Amino acid sequence: MRRALVLVVVLVLVAAFLPVDALTTDLANRFAAPSLAHPLGTDNLGRDVLARLVAGTRLSVWFTLVAVAACAVVGTLLGLLAGYAGGVAGQALQRVLDVLVAIPTVIVGLVVAAVREPGLSTLLIAVLLTGWTPFARLAYQLTVRERAREYVEGAVALGAGPGRITLVHILPNAIRPLTAHACLRFANVLLSLAGLSFLGLGAQPPTPEWGAMLAEGRQYLFAAPQLVLVPAVAVVGVALLVTALGRRLESRWSSR
Amino acid sequence: MGGLLARRLLTLPFVLLGAALLIFLLPRLAGVDTVRSVLRSRVAEAEPDPEAAARVTAELGLDRPWPEQFLRWLGHALQGDLGISFATRTPIAPQLGAALEVSAVLSALALLVAGIVGIPLGVWAARRRGGLADRAVTGFSVVGTAVPEFVLAPVLVLLLAIAVPLFPATGWGTPAQAVLPVLTLAAFPTALAAQLTRAETLDALGRPHVTVALAKGIGGSQLIWRHGARLALTGVTALSGMFFAGLLGGAVVVEVAFGIPGLGRLLYDAVIGQDLPMLQSGLLAVVGVAVLAGVGAELLQLALDPVARSEVGA
Repeated sequence: MRRALVLVVVLVLVAAFLPVDALTTDLANRFAAPSLAHPLGTDNLGRDVLARLVAGTRLSVWFTLVAVAACAVVGTLLGLLAGYAGGVAGQALQRVLDVLVAIPTVIVGLVVAAVREPGLSTLLIAVLLTGWTPFARLAYQLTVRERAREYVEGAVALGAGPGRITLVHILPNAIRPLTAHACLRFANVLLSLAGLSFLGLGAQPPTPEWGAMLAEGRQYLFAAPQLVLVPAVAVVGVALLVTALGRRLESRWSSR
Repeated sequence: MGGLLARRLLTLPFVLLGAALLIFLLPRLAGVDTVRSVLRSRVAEAEPDPEAAARVTAELGLDRPWPEQFLRWLGHALQGDLGISFATRTPIAPQLGAALEVSAVLSALALLVAGIVGIPLGVWAARRRGGLADRAVTGFSVVGTAVPEFVLAPVLVLLLAIAVPLFPATGWGTPAQAVLPVLTLAAFPTALAAQLTRAETLDALGRPHVTVALAKGIGGSQLIWRHGARLALTGVTALSGMFFAGLLGGAVVVEVAFGIPGLGRLLYDAVIGQDLPMLQSGLLAVVGVAVLAGVGAELLQLALDPVARSEVGA
């Protein structure tokens, strides 16, 4: 299981760096069946489906990594500070989180797309607006727990300020659950990216992105179902895999 | 503490007012010239005549300071006057009402499926912990929460409308047309409900009061349903925000994918068509429904959970 996991993660990373030609159209060769030249066939414009899948992997992996990292940093910092300060700050953060948890990323994406143009930067803003909240919640809970420990008391007695205590003393003790959580969020952000692109609010054609490929392929569902099935398998496969990895890290690190 | 419900009710007015203000400010954030948009929606003219522009500005009260505009806008909205759509040039309120009705039916059916299928699956898995049934249910719930609506919709269409033509692939109105969208939308809440119910039931079965019930000779189904599942259900309702967000986000995708004239579709069309009054009204409706759903879930939890009840009384 672990070897399979490592293998597929390596494959995804290789795909992320493989140079491919995902944009060249070949109208004489539309909807071609799989062959040596096109292992997964061609799409409605004669583009190589495998090349688009690989290029889509690259886009998804990088975008999601950047988005999750940004969410993790913002959410963790807010959670740490609110958790350490407690009192009004803690209550305020929790009320804000209560409200935001009920707002789906798709709706935020729609609103941001109405204010700006649809596109990848719009998508990033939408994901950031909702994505920081789970990290903030977790960091808050962890900080409240850690704050009661003796080492924090010791640091306070030695005259350390709140910034130093949260970042140098509490954060290292909270980093493992937060990392495991980042893996779980990776799948979520990946699906948000593909979902918003599916709706035409994210990656714009001809950019090869899994959700956009699905939306395009949907029009040829009858003639060429593989145009939907290939990106579908990719997006669900990667989401399941990263979730499995996150669960594993979570259970291993929380038992210690 | 004062109880969850009291806390929520206390912060509710601020949340509502803040949300309404954000929605009101949306066209300003978008940098939309309202007067121009209104004129363009009424007469197809590239360059608006300044006299008409001044008239519309005065007519809409756009020359007033914005807090006054906000209060006036909110007052109109509360009385059911949501303005006129830029796209259809007809009043928004009836269109919004019709869309809300469609989405309410769609979501209620999906939640019904989730409750009828997901909760018993979770209890079943918990009773056979570690067994084949448990593993199957856990597997289903992992896949069910990972497969997004935009994947499930075309795959279900492929399987049940094209390969085996049992149900129509688009539209809304007949029971047959509802099957695929409801299945698509129900997948996530069903999987989530099964997962949560399993975890909560296992937790509940380890509690002292269940041991007492066992010692008194209450066993089997009665124990599970009266003592275990009841506690589990309170855990499920406590996470209603997750269910709601899942349903609402899913509804946008499902309604767009299946061509259903619901609230999600209305919001989507408003964004694509730059119909800001429609978008604002749709968002107001979303906020309203979210608040109602939140309060409803709290009340349901109070009805189910004596511990929460005593917290409110305290």
